[in-house]
Amino acid sequence: MSSAFTRPPAYSGVWHPDAIEEIQEKAELGRYQIRGQATKRHDLPSFDDLVFTPAGLSRMPLEGYRERCDTKVVIGEGRVSRPLVLERPIMIAGMSFGALSINAKRALGIAASNCGISTCTGEGGMHPEEREHSDKLVMQYLPSRYGMNPYDLQKADMIEIGAGQGAKPGSGGVLLGLKMSEEVARMRDLPPGVDQRSGCRHPDWMGADDLYMKLEQIREVTNYAVPISIKVGASRIANDVRIACKADVDAIVFDGMEGGTAASPTIQLDHAGIPTIAAIAEAVEALHDMGKQDDIKLIVGGGIKSGADAAKAIALGADVIYLGTAPMIALNCHRPIYLDDYERLGTTPYECQHCHTGLCPVGITTQLPKLMARLDVAEGAERVTNYLNAMTMEIQLFARSCGKNKVADLDPNDMRALTQDVALMTGIPMVGLNGRQPWWTKF
Amino acid sequence: MANVETLTLDCRDKPTRDINNAIRKAADDGVKTVEILNTRARHNIGVGILKPIHLIYRGHVGYYTVGLCDGVTAEIHGSAGWGVGDNLLAGEVVVEGNAATSAGPSIRGGRIVVKGNGGPRCGVYLKSGDLIIGGDAGYMSGFMMQNGRLIICGDAAKGLGDSMYQGQIWLGGKVEEMGSGVAETEPEAGELDAVLEMLDGYKIKPPKAFRKLESDRSLWNFNKNDFAAWKDVL
Repeated sequence: MSSAFTRPPAYSGVWHPDAIEEIQEKAELGRYQIRGQATKRHDLPSFDDLVFTPAGLSRMPLEGYRERCDTKVVIGEGRVSRPLVLERPIMIAGMSFGALSINAKRALGIAASNCGISTCTGEGGMHPEEREHSDKLVMQYLPSRYGMNPYDLQKADMIEIGAGQGAKPGSGGVLLGLKMSEEVARMRDLPPGVDQRSGCRHPDWMGADDLYMKLEQIREVTNYAVPISIKVGASRIANDVRIACKADVDAIVFDGMEGGTAASPTIQLDHAGIPTIAAIAEAVEALHDMGKQDDIKLIVGGGIKSGADAAKAIALGADVIYLGTAPMIALNCHRPIYLDDYERLGTTPYECQHCHTGLCPVGITTQLPKLMARLDVAEGAERVTNYLNAMTMEIQLFARSCGKNKVADLDPNDMRALTQDVALMTGIPMVGLNGRQPWWTKF
Repeated sequence: MANVETLTLDCRDKPTRDINNAIRKAADDGVKTVEILNTRARHNIGVGILKPIHLIYRGHVGYYTVGLCDGVTAEIHGSAGWGVGDNLLAGEVVVEGNAATSAGPSIRGGRIVVKGNGGPRCGVYLKSGDLIIGGDAGYMSGFMMQNGRLIICGDAAKGLGDSMYQGQIWLGGKVEEMGSGVAETEPEAGELDAVLEMLDGYKIKPPKAFRKLESDRSLWNFNKNDFAAWKDVL
């Protein structure tokens, strides 16, 4: 027998060690598992299943590293008096002060400002320091209405009505007691130390007609000055997009099931929602069905790591990429430093998903002063700026190589699919078929 | 418009934006009162008003009346649609009739008085201030209430005060089914008198007796030994 033979594992495929560990943890805790970051699934369709088909003889590329390639996106242009101008097709996703430390919020604000893009309050209200550090700040309007007031709405550069998130569509936020510091609790009108579970359904609107009225209310408060988006977790995305169009939002935001979280029931992370790449295809088709593809911007998040992922999402029809987890990693999340603290949490760098505990070894998802001090704001802001710059250059590389002088001009014809699954769900032709039926079907 | 005590505003044929701008300008100009005619249950009339002014609505109003306001006082001579007084920071809204779903959602101060009945979820996410319901309140009233006082003179439907964090519910009538994490407590000295005095100020007939309800704090932090309480709310 060849030495290449590998004996199959002795453990059961059904009662896999992970399943056994999960059952034993539930037996200990008496509740479902909660963790941060994102789904652990390895079997989701991904942007890696698509490749670009850049220019050759049949199409001319732009000069790869030099020729101008426009990255600007404007949300609400011609619709509101103060549209949101993004210098790059990227936004920092909503992550609350509470989920993140104030140092992380400061660093993200500075980095976003350096890059001419926006950051977002997340739940829990607008922290004055976040407003100060962010040139362009989106304020989330969520069911819980923590910290909500008309004055902060008027200070925002865009309002995002939150109606769901990819990590746990159909469920509200979770912030466990250790992260409910005095300051976080004060901003949310809650007692310090409680396990906060946010509502997932807005208390005062339900359905498409109500949403239109809610939008009108917020437009009245903000004097029709800034754009309003609505964010959902990708699940029934095509119908959600149609309803958002009817309500006449300026932008639709969604993240797929790969979307990040600071705390979510594990079972929802892994078993709810649909993958980002599938959701884009459904959302774009729905936008076209409604004839709104030129009016309403599509902002897409959920597991986007690199300029390749971002450029592919744009080519599929997204206007803007929503980044949450990736900038946190740029800040130092998962970095192999403070190894003893990772060990105390029972984890390691690269595997850590302990944002929910409030004991983040690198000072990002914590409210404990000793841990928060580990995140140097200036250094963190520089790292995130560098990452965002690199990602922008990567997106431009693909646009130029496909002969496009605007990133927004990337389109589905610039790509081919490597797998049948992704070809089927996106409509992108399989590689090797040149967009036609296989050659043997002619005979 | 200086020195004008009362401005009369007819909503007929006016876009919502013009009506609200007229109210804001009146407040800027120091007008004391705006009387709003032909409200016809329209939505978003009198929202985002951030300077003190008194609004008199002659008729029924729609969604979010006096929503996201600060320092406004209002009397509504009719019934109100969903979310009356939404997110009020300070001021007072008196509804002479009934209020639909989610009266006073997430108010952070001030007082909302509904002389008739309230629909479901009265005082949902109430954060501060007072919400008075002169009649009955619908299901899940006081849901996830965070602070303040919810006073219900009549009966309450299922789920009263469910998952409330803090604050007080004063209930005059019967409750169909109490929400999770709610307990009856003994009023402290002067608390009941303050409630009765408040009702008297609005000429609302008080019930024969009030029960004071508060969070029992069992849901503040997860306890695996109290699964019966948590299974519905975790």
